[in-house]
Amino acid sequence: MTVVPDVTASAPTPAGVSRDRRGSWIPTFPMIATRFMELRKRRGLMAALVGVTIGIPTVFLAIRLILHAVAPKTYGPAGGYDIFTALVAGVLYVFGFIVAATLGCTAGSVDLTEGMFRHLVVTGRSRLALYLARIPAGLAIIVPLVAAGFAIVCAVCAFAAPTTLNYDGVSVPAGLSRSGLESWAAQHANVVACNFTTNRIIVNVPCGNRPRGVPIGKGPDGTVVNGPGGEGAGPAPLTPAQLRAEAIRIANENYTDYSRFFLSPSNSLMIKTGLWIELEAIIGFIVGLGLSSLLGQRTIAVVMMVVLEIIITPIAARARIPHFENLQRAVVGLATAHLEPGALPLALGGDRRVDLLHESTLVAVGVILAWLAGWTILGAWRMVSRDA
Amino acid sequence: MSATTTVDGSEVRDTPGRWAVETRGLTKRFGANVAVDGVDLRVPRGCAFGYLGPNGAGKTTLIRVLLGLTRADAGTMSLLGFEVPKHRDVALARVGAIVDEPRFHGHLTGRENLQLLAAAREPAARDRIGPALERVDMTHRADDRVSKYSMGMRQRLGVAACLLGDPQLLILDEPMNGLDPAGMREMREMIASLVAEGRTVVLSSHLLDEVERTCHAIAIVDQGKVIRQGSISELLAGTSLVVEVECSEPDRARTLLERTTIGADVDATPRGLGITLPVGADRDVIAEIARVLVEAGISVYRLEPIHTSLESWFLQVTSRLGDSP
Repeated sequence: MTVVPDVTASAPTPAGVSRDRRGSWIPTFPMIATRFMELRKRRGLMAALVGVTIGIPTVFLAIRLILHAVAPKTYGPAGGYDIFTALVAGVLYVFGFIVAATLGCTAGSVDLTEGMFRHLVVTGRSRLALYLARIPAGLAIIVPLVAAGFAIVCAVCAFAAPTTLNYDGVSVPAGLSRSGLESWAAQHANVVACNFTTNRIIVNVPCGNRPRGVPIGKGPDGTVVNGPGGEGAGPAPLTPAQLRAEAIRIANENYTDYSRFFLSPSNSLMIKTGLWIELEAIIGFIVGLGLSSLLGQRTIAVVMMVVLEIIITPIAARARIPHFENLQRAVVGLATAHLEPGALPLALGGDRRVDLLHESTLVAVGVILAWLAGWTILGAWRMVSRDA
Repeated sequence: MSATTTVDGSEVRDTPGRWAVETRGLTKRFGANVAVDGVDLRVPRGCAFGYLGPNGAGKTTLIRVLLGLTRADAGTMSLLGFEVPKHRDVALARVGAIVDEPRFHGHLTGRENLQLLAAAREPAARDRIGPALERVDMTHRADDRVSKYSMGMRQRLGVAACLLGDPQLLILDEPMNGLDPAGMREMREMIASLVAEGRTVVLSSHLLDEVERTCHAIAIVDQGKVIRQGSISELLAGTSLVVEVECSEPDRARTLLERTTIGADVDATPRGLGITLPVGADRDVIAEIARVLVEAGISVYRLEPIHTSLESWFLQVTSRLGDSP
C-alpha cells in the first residue's frame, strides 16, 4: 500500500521534509531551547527553585552578616568553614535534590497532563527525542541555580570568615604549621596549659579562678605530672621554662586536631563540594523526570522523591538490616553519601566512620550510573509506548 | 512528475495514490470493546471530507490510530500514500491535526506554544508561526497567555498549530466546538480556502449542517464500522424527494393526489402538504402535481421540492434511528 505509482502532487511538498530527520532520537537544539523556555516560564516553580537554592542560603547569610556588623562581639563572622559545612551538608544537599526532583517531575509529566503531548506526537517527531530534549533543558535550569546558590555560600564563607580561629576557647592564628603552633604555644604557655585539651593531667598551673593542676587522678595514659618538688613534695608552681615545655608538648599533642579546623573552606574543598552538590541535583532531576514520565503525573512522583531523600535514604544509610545490606547499598542516596567530600560532616547525620553502611567507591559510582540510566530508560520507554 | 522524499536512506515517491487517507481492515480494541472494527476508509485528496458518527461510534479513536497516538490491533493504513507506522515520521511531516479539544500550556502565550511545536517540526516551521496566526486571526492575542483564551480562541490556535507544517492533510476533530456563529463561518471559509489550495481536510463533527455545507464527501461511522462513504450528492441521490405544497384546500388536494397514479405518500403538515415521491421519481412528477391541483380549481401558493437533509439521512442510516422517539 505504500507506493502507488505516478500521481501528480495535489499540494506543494513542504520544504525541508527530507532534511529534518524527525525520526531521529537525537533532539534538535530548537527543541531543547523551547523546552527550556517552557520550564523557565513556570513562575511558581521557578520562584520555588530560586527561593530554595539561592534564597535560603542568601537570607541565612545576610542575617548573619547584618548581626555581625551590628554586634561583632556578640555575633561571630557570617562565614567561615563551620558555616560552609553546615550549609552544604544541612541545606544544599537535601533541598538541592528535592527542588531538582520537583523540576524533573514537572518536565516529565506536564506535556501529558496539559494536553500538549499529542500535539507534539502529531508532528511526527520521535517520542524518544521529545523525552531526551527535556534532560539538557532541565539541567540548564537546575545546574546554574544550584551553582549560584553554592557560589553565594562559598563567597560569604570565604570572604566573611573569622580572622582568628577559636580553638578550645582560645583565639589561635589559623593555618600554622606544627612548629608554628609550638612556637605560638611557647609564647602563650599559660593560656595553652590552662585551656587546651591534653591527655595528661597537669598540675600547678595558675589559671585564675580555676587553677589547673590540682591532682585529680590519673590521665588517660595513666601518667601524672608533678611540680618541681617531686612526688610527695606537694604542689609547687612550674618554672617558666617548665611551663613553656609543657605548652609545647600540649600544642604538639593538639596539632592533628587543630589542623582540621580552617578559617575558610579551601579552594579544593569548595570545588569538590560544588561538584558533589551538582551531582546530587542532576540525580534528583533525572530520576524525577523518569519517575514522573513513568507515572504520567507529577504530584505522586514528587512525594515519592521526597520520601526517598528524607526517609528512605537516611534509614538505608545508617540502619543495618540483616540480609538486605546489598539492597540498602543500591539506594542512590547512600551512594552519593559515599562520594561526599571527607571534610564535610555526614549529610545524613551521624559519624561517617561509624554510622554509614560501608560501600566501595566503585560500587557507589556504579549505583549512581545505574540509577541515571535505569530511570532514563524507564521514562523514555513509557513515553514511547503510552497512548497520547 | 512527482517529488520524492528520503526515508531510511532511500527515496520514496512523494505523492503516491489518489487517497489522502486509506485504511484496510483497521481495528482497535479496548479490552472486549471494539472501538474501530475493520474499517476500510478512503479519503480522496484535495477535498473536504466529513467523518460523521454518533457519540461513541469510534470517530476519535480512528483519528488517534491514524496519527499514531495509539496503536492499531489489526489492519493497514496510509497517510498521503505513506504507510504508517512504518513511515510515520515522513507522513506526519505534512499532516496537521486537532484531536479532541485543543489544549496547550496555559502559562505560555499562543505564540510560545506554537514555537514549542514548530521546534519539533522542520526549521521552516518557525517562519510559518506569524502567517499561521494571521490566518486564524489571532495575531492580536498571540502574546497573551493561553490560560486567558476562550475555547474558540484555543480552537483557532489549534488550527494555527496545524498549519505550521504546511500540511497536505489536515485532520480536525470537532473544530467548530466553542465557536460562535461568526467563528463557525470563518472556520468554514478557512476550510474552503485550504481545500482550494489543494490540501485535504478531514473534518470530524457532530454538526451535520456544518458538514453538509463544508464537505464534498463523507463517511458515516457507527459502532466502530464505516457504514457509508462517498460524495454527499451521491449518497443523498438515493433518498426520496419531498415536495411541500401550500394551497387553498389542503384536504381536497390530499384526496385528489392520493387518487392519482403518481404513487406518492401525502401527509398533512403545519404548512400544507408534504408529498414524498418514490425513489427515482423525475422532475416531471412535480409538474404533474401542479397540473392536477390547478385543474381542480385549487389555488397553489407554494410548491417546493425539498431534498432529504444530511441530518435526516444520517439518522436513517445510523443506529441513532432506533433511539429516536
